[in-house]
Amino acid sequence: MEATLEQHLDETMKHPAIVGVLITDQQGHNLGCRGSLSDEHGGVVSVLAKQAAGLSKDPTDSPTVCLESDTGNVLVRTHGSITVAVHKMAS
Amino acid sequence: MGCCYSSDNDAAEERKPLIPHPNPDSKPPNGTDWSASNVPSARTDEQALLTSILTKTAQNIIDVSATDSQGMEQHEYMDKARQYSTKLAVLSNTLPQKKAHFLPSLTSQPHQVLASDLVPYSDVQQVSKIAAYAYSAISQIKVDAKEELVVQFAIP
Repeated sequence: MEATLEQHLDETMKHPAIVGVLITDQQGHNLGCRGSLSDEHGGVVSVLAKQAAGLSKDPTDSPTVCLESDTGNVLVRTHGSITVAVHKMAS
Repeated sequence: MGCCYSSDNDAAEERKPLIPHPNPDSKPPNGTDWSASNVPSARTDEQALLTSILTKTAQNIIDVSATDSQGMEQHEYMDKARQYSTKLAVLSNTLPQKKAHFLPSLTSQPHQVLASDLVPYSDVQQVSKIAAYAYSAISQIKVDAKEELVVQFAIP
């Protein structure tokens, strides 16, 4: 049933420099996660994406939120009804 | 409760109206006294018996909701409110404070981050791709019916 999603998460983690991935729905419920991103980040991730989308006048515009730090970036992106966060270390 | 005709007191009770007349001195609008004996006596007895049964039943019923609301005075409300708020204040001190969950690896040196290169566009594209794949993977999730949800019980 959710095997495709689980497989996709595992394959994402195989990318070099990616240390965490999280998928949440619009309410912040965790749909799947790996690595440094876990259950409790779902709410923050979905709200960040929602707030960022609110900055644009175009409702079809889907921004990518990037939280930069000296050790890596967390990129947050909404696609349809889901939001994905990827934690990537600085290369 | 004994037999309906077991005591003489019943006779008096039988004629007691179930709902007291709001204004006993006034006559009913049609000018006839409703307790007057211009009705056949057999029918009156039957009515009275029914009334007595109703009265006794009503006496045996305890209206819990009415009892609850009557027994509370204004100052009792205040006392209870104070008591509960004191209890809550004591309990809330012992509750563990919920910690905020921070996203990993926040920086302590923002100037370095701000001075560094922009986020590579390839990273943004990569995240877009991951999100699109994830969305398609989630849209494939559907309920896989394996057995009947409604089962017939074997009725002999």
